[in-house]
Amino acid sequence: MMNKALWIGVGVMALASAAQAQTAKPDSAQGEVSLTIYNNDLALVQDKRELTLPAGRSAQEFADVSAQIRPETVTLSAPGAGVVEQNFDYDLLSPERLVDKGVGQGVTIIRTNPGTGAETVEHGIILANNGGTLVQIGNRIEVLADMHARLVFDKLPDGLKARPTLSVTLDAAQVGKRPVNLSYLSRGFGWKADYVALFDEGAGKIDVQGWITLKNTTGTSFPHAKVLLVAGTVGTSDEDSSESRPRGFAGTEAADREQVGDFYVYPIKARTTVANAQQKQVSFLDVKGAPAAKTYYYRNGWLAGHDDAQSFATVLSFSNARNGGLGDALPAGTVRVYMRDAQGNPQFVGEDQIGHTPMGSTLVLKTGEAFDVKIKPTVDKREKIDSAEWERVARYRVNGKVGVLEAAKTYWRTHMTYRLTNARAVPATVEVVQAGLGGDTRVSAESQPGTQRSADERVWKVTIPAQGEVVLTAQIDTRY
Amino acid sequence: MMRWVWLGAALLAAPLQAGEVVTSPAPGKVAVTIYRAPQRPADEPMALGWLGGYALITETREVSIPAGEAEIRFEGVAAGMLPESAIVTGLPGDVAEKNLDADLLSPRNLYARAFGRPVVLRRTDAGGTHEEAAIIRSGPDGAAVLQTKAGFEIANCGGLSDALAYQGLPAGLNARPTLSVATQSPRAVRALVQLSYLAWGFDWQAHYVLAMRPGAREADLTAWVTLASSDATSFSQAKAAVVGGKPHFDEVREGWPESGEMELTCQITHMPPPPAMKPAPPPPVIATLAAPAVMAMRAFSVEKALAPVVVSQEALGDLKLYRVPMPTTVAAHAQKQVALLDARRVKLALIHGADITPGGSAQAQIKLRLHNRKADGLGLALPAGKLTVVQPLGDAAIPVGEGRLDDKAEGEEATIAIAASTQVRIKTIATPWQDGVRRTIATVTNANRWPVHFEGRLRIVQGASVERSSTPLSRRDGLPLWSVTVPAHGKAVLTYTEREPNPPRR
Repeated sequence: MMNKALWIGVGVMALASAAQAQTAKPDSAQGEVSLTIYNNDLALVQDKRELTLPAGRSAQEFADVSAQIRPETVTLSAPGAGVVEQNFDYDLLSPERLVDKGVGQGVTIIRTNPGTGAETVEHGIILANNGGTLVQIGNRIEVLADMHARLVFDKLPDGLKARPTLSVTLDAAQVGKRPVNLSYLSRGFGWKADYVALFDEGAGKIDVQGWITLKNTTGTSFPHAKVLLVAGTVGTSDEDSSESRPRGFAGTEAADREQVGDFYVYPIKARTTVANAQQKQVSFLDVKGAPAAKTYYYRNGWLAGHDDAQSFATVLSFSNARNGGLGDALPAGTVRVYMRDAQGNPQFVGEDQIGHTPMGSTLVLKTGEAFDVKIKPTVDKREKIDSAEWERVARYRVNGKVGVLEAAKTYWRTHMTYRLTNARAVPATVEVVQAGLGGDTRVSAESQPGTQRSADERVWKVTIPAQGEVVLTAQIDTRY
Repeated sequence: MMRWVWLGAALLAAPLQAGEVVTSPAPGKVAVTIYRAPQRPADEPMALGWLGGYALITETREVSIPAGEAEIRFEGVAAGMLPESAIVTGLPGDVAEKNLDADLLSPRNLYARAFGRPVVLRRTDAGGTHEEAAIIRSGPDGAAVLQTKAGFEIANCGGLSDALAYQGLPAGLNARPTLSVATQSPRAVRALVQLSYLAWGFDWQAHYVLAMRPGAREADLTAWVTLASSDATSFSQAKAAVVGGKPHFDEVREGWPESGEMELTCQITHMPPPPAMKPAPPPPVIATLAAPAVMAMRAFSVEKALAPVVVSQEALGDLKLYRVPMPTTVAAHAQKQVALLDARRVKLALIHGADITPGGSAQAQIKLRLHNRKADGLGLALPAGKLTVVQPLGDAAIPVGEGRLDDKAEGEEATIAIAASTQVRIKTIATPWQDGVRRTIATVTNANRWPVHFEGRLRIVQGASVERSSTPLSRRDGLPLWSVTVPAHGKAVLTYTEREPNPPRR
């Protein structure tokens, strides 16, 4: 027993040294790596390696490049050497490919006696590998699957790789060691921001921490890399702007951060390991006690009424201006809002997404729906009015003069009632938006003055007393 | 034998991070706050196989932190953790970075990391088992070509049964996804660290049982909160709470992680390409501590010995927090129930309602109308849930209707449809439109041995008005409403005239 173990140990040693000869570094073949990571599944990898080149042409393999490399973007520069050609091989070594490549070549065939386990070693040729492997031993042709035998190859065929491999043929003027700069774009990287916001409603203050969340799903680890994050998406993308929700306004201040074109960059200070399948978070913002306010928002569609009361959206607004705000540009991400419960422990109260936000903006987050503050919109009545009445209400036009007066004789009058309730122990100030007022529309009566926010939307700001209710009415005249 | 040990040690590569590694195996104290699945309607049961809600888990851990740079690894966190939501407080220094390492220790990853390295190949045939040294020469995507003493060969082929044995674990692979933070402390200290994070795989549901008292003007309302976890981690003696209301939450739950399978197959001729989508693994089996049926049985028993322990309620911003008053265990793959409310003699009105459409006929809907206020025996924030109405019949309490209750604030009125009545029907006869008017006769019949209160909403044409009616009408939701008490075995009739929309004449 001891003897056998010793033999295996020696065997492993011998094979291990063979393995060592093939890979130069045990951990990674990468050199000095810099990663520049964008938001949209894209990164620039710059890898500076020391290579010893022979004079003349030689093929160099670059192991441990990202498994999601975009090979068409590879550029390589080596002092005193020119690139002859670049290859990206993804013909992977597998049992099928091994046998495929072995067709027509000699192979060792070891038969095992199913009864005794005794082995017989023969030499033969692989004839074909199409839906079954045919081998020729001397003059006999047999199907491998029926033989109770296995194939042993003397060497691995050329061109089959264990992993996708980048290989470059270089032409060097003279032999010697030199730094080689390899750069390429890779998929499988991405980052976003995650914000933790602790809101103190009583004080009207918010504490915000910002974290950059970096994800590597390339299948390759990058130990000890220099990482730079770019807040932006390269290529075109449209920001969603048609959502029915309150919006803040964009700021015009510049943050004290480095910029690349229009994009802010966020470097990670020390070199760090970006491991495969890892999600890494690095802090970039920590602001305490910025002013914040909570409001309620509801947008009612045209002619929309509900039998059940609907909740107002809870809306949190704050600024990222230098004065009275967070004082930084905010990369796109998720803001998770927490509030303290009666025992003082922070509890999660909702989250919202923000886009890339320049400094000086007002951020408006919809964190959830209010349990206690509700609205019941009702279309109370729709009636037709004649053109004389239509003329009379012309001064209540909300969009100025629109087009020419049409010949039609009848117009519609809509009576809206919004019953607003508040079950909280404090008064609530709400924003009620009636949408769908485009075209020639007149608000000929309303229970309290509203403002026209846009051609389409009229807004009423109402304060509902604690544990009370307010009935808001509006009379809206339209062409149809 | 010595060589074996030496080789094993060499394969255990050193960890990549600088500084000391401190492992915190489990939380000391834990609080679990459960949120409902965001899209699940009030009366839809929880999907126990794939719970769509989430939880905020707040753990307190005592950790010995060395001086200088250190990496603190948190074990025993919920498997469904959203790592980007993790917050770590209470460390003496700053948190430089947080990492979630999800490169898991699996047969496939172990094989991949052993590429080019020696392994032990155990071969079994009729003659017995023997071991030999081998080197892995192919990646896991094209498994598995090995280099042996004889040459290059395919594992598990030709009458042999092969297995691989590895001599040590590669660095960077974890048994479970593990959260770690890098921190720096000026001195060694024993710190109370608070770790909080959101995690998938939780849900809760409210269920109301309304036991009608004779006369149908009062009822006893009991409600249960069922909370469920499909997470692999149990939280014992936890401070548990659930949150009512609708916080905005639009995270997308990621699917199951990539399979870590690695089979040594002797597939040497071409196969059709594998389907691109892996079939979803079967849902995990959920052990049920208390099946809903059991709960229902308990709730349906008319007599109750003691009032149950009821959750306490508080406002959490614009949401509601319902706290389980005693420490409880939120067990893995289990659900549990706690009483939400136990209200006696709640006032209610039983209404038979229908929409009156000229020319149409309909069954009346049986509806309950509750006013959520103290004077009526309620007056607390009622979270959305399913409602079962039971009525005593002899010794038993039998279900007579089911409906759904949406989130109802204090002071709100709730009208809940619980069943369609077979006894109360509405029938209408309408004349054709003539000179812009139409007359409708609506008859409601009651086959019950008791009078019923009927409410009919007149579905009139948009812009039309009711010119005349045989009984005065009120208005509800912008439509004319006919309220009438229909006597036992009797009927009630309404005649009304509609006028088509026209500009008012002057």
